[in-house]
Amino acid sequence: MTGALHILIGVARAQWRRLMLWGFAFMVLSQVAMLAALILRFQALPNYQTFYNWPGNVARIIRSTPALSDMPGIIAEEWLVEIGRMNYDYGTGISEWSLNVIPSRLVVMFVLGILVGLCAALMRVERCSLPVRGSARAVTGLGAGLIAMTNATMSWVVCCATPSWVVGLAMMGLGVSSSLALETLGPWLNFGGFGLLLALALCLAWRSSRRATILAEPAHA
Amino acid sequence: MKHQSCFRGAVLAMGLTSLGGMAMAEKITIAIGHQSMCTDTYTAGIVVKELGLLEKYLPTDGKYADAEYDVSWADYSSGGPITNQMLANKLNFGVMGDYPLIVNGAKFQETESLRTLYVAGTGYNLKGSGNAIVVPVGSDIYSIDQLKGKSVSTPVGSAAWGMLLKAMQDNSIPSAEYALKNQSPAVGAANIAAGKIDAHSDFCPWSEIMEFRGTGRKIYDGSETNVPYLHGVVVRQDFAEMYPEVVEAFIKAVWAAGEWIREDPMKAVSLMEGWTGVEKEVLYLYFSKGGHLTLDPTIKTEWVDALKFNHGVLVKEKAIPPLDFDAWITEDYVKAAYADLGLDYAADKAMMVDPAEANAGMPLEIWHARDGISSYPDMPAFLTAMAEMTGTGAKLNATYVYDVETGLKLFGKTAFWVKAGEDYATFLRKGEAETFATAHDGALITFDDAISDFVTEG
Repeated sequence: MTGALHILIGVARAQWRRLMLWGFAFMVLSQVAMLAALILRFQALPNYQTFYNWPGNVARIIRSTPALSDMPGIIAEEWLVEIGRMNYDYGTGISEWSLNVIPSRLVVMFVLGILVGLCAALMRVERCSLPVRGSARAVTGLGAGLIAMTNATMSWVVCCATPSWVVGLAMMGLGVSSSLALETLGPWLNFGGFGLLLALALCLAWRSSRRATILAEPAHA
Repeated sequence: MKHQSCFRGAVLAMGLTSLGGMAMAEKITIAIGHQSMCTDTYTAGIVVKELGLLEKYLPTDGKYADAEYDVSWADYSSGGPITNQMLANKLNFGVMGDYPLIVNGAKFQETESLRTLYVAGTGYNLKGSGNAIVVPVGSDIYSIDQLKGKSVSTPVGSAAWGMLLKAMQDNSIPSAEYALKNQSPAVGAANIAAGKIDAHSDFCPWSEIMEFRGTGRKIYDGSETNVPYLHGVVVRQDFAEMYPEVVEAFIKAVWAAGEWIREDPMKAVSLMEGWTGVEKEVLYLYFSKGGHLTLDPTIKTEWVDALKFNHGVLVKEKAIPPLDFDAWITEDYVKAAYADLGLDYAADKAMMVDPAEANAGMPLEIWHARDGISSYPDMPAFLTAMAEMTGTGAKLNATYVYDVETGLKLFGKTAFWVKAGEDYATFLRKGEAETFATAHDGALITFDDAISDFVTEG
């Protein structure tokens, strides 16, 4: 395992610029993908955007929340930007749908991008056989999918009671009972996604370290 | 010289006094989250805001003598975001409906250090009117039984969703026998107008907007569930403890908003239309005498029971956190506000308006575009006036009648009309109109048919 960790750290050190790029790409593309999905789903372009004073709001939360343990959860829900579609057929306008850019989720997407990039780099280092590479890609996709899904930040007026990640699924057409059933599994699915990616990275690094050990062993005559 | 030094001393003293005053002055920020597209919140939201009622009641003596108030209002499409903003301390007060209120209390109690208090109501409908199930106006669905095998949309998590679940259970329609879709009010209303969905369940005033615009027809009113539909005010506990008199001032403003509406409902709804964009004719259905909404800030025992029932639904369906109702609900502030206003809290708390009883014999109304609203004691007088007005080509904004079964105020044009002999009766639902017609040897007729009976030649 130590060898595997050495390989991981070595790859991360050697390719940190590329991994950062992966992180930024995931951060940006996840928001673009969600916005595109909303536009396609509702067949309408956004017509309003609101920018929030995120640092100021976080400072306010820190000042006014007595318990340290309460702060992360509240800060995690703070919005930076809201982009959406306002329907002016009713009242003075009602937000039909919106995409909320939330810094805490951007961080998650950034970490996800780094992990995916790391797995891709390890696959290249390992020079896996085609079936292994296929399996590794499938696991990467599954892990990334779970994380992206549970960090969706799409919203609409229907979340009268508890806006959560399943709103995004419901907006994309998932049934009510299925989305409600999935709601409580959110944290587990999220951890599961990260677990899969970490396990894959470790597995690939372990394979590389084992191969290096075998190659380094002296041949017996 | 002596005069000069006296003058200097006076200026210095004045300067020090004002500096001292500035140091003493406390800026109290009061931020309120409300919903201008939810009628039942208006007496703690848009009306208080636009009439400046809170400012009128804010304390200015004692520890508030030097206080500077900074009052701000934020309008939201639903209650969920208000709770998030309150958690972040960007809002001190939140005004919302029963289901979002419960989530508010539960989410705060889930934290270690933050709490909200439910301090006052805004208004209610004893039986649950305000929520309703609507079908496209041309649909052949007339009762909830016909929704078996159909698609029904609703904003999941809202009071309308809770009402829909109970309505289906009450009518023995298991969830497997209908397709439930999660849909926002605006999209739901658009789908009803386009006939893209079989039915849509929504909260106030969406059903009536659809009826008024002629796109939808109610097949089920929330009153049939017999669960009160109410809205109320929550405040962060830390704010309430620091400024209890401000909370009392807010409740006084809620009471004053109700009085202002009761004084002249037509003027009130006309102004509210300008503030909210919701048609005044729809608002009149809620805020007029005999309307869906009883404005009342008191916290009744029945409300607590209703909120507990709703919490049970949310726990079962959405696994929301537990809520300690005793710690969350307090009458202290509303009682203090009533006492300050010289009002009898106990008397108001004991008063309960049941539309079925309260609206019996209520006059029928016609809203003439130019002349305003006129009342008529009975059907012949009402229909005679209608015949005369339509005969002259007068523009009528709306007409209002009452459902014989529930006492619910209805638009004349959307009611089901029955003529039995020389008598006329109006109904919300077709089934009950047919039953009445059969029992009284009458027949279903249209509103136009009823009016034409009173058209005189020449």
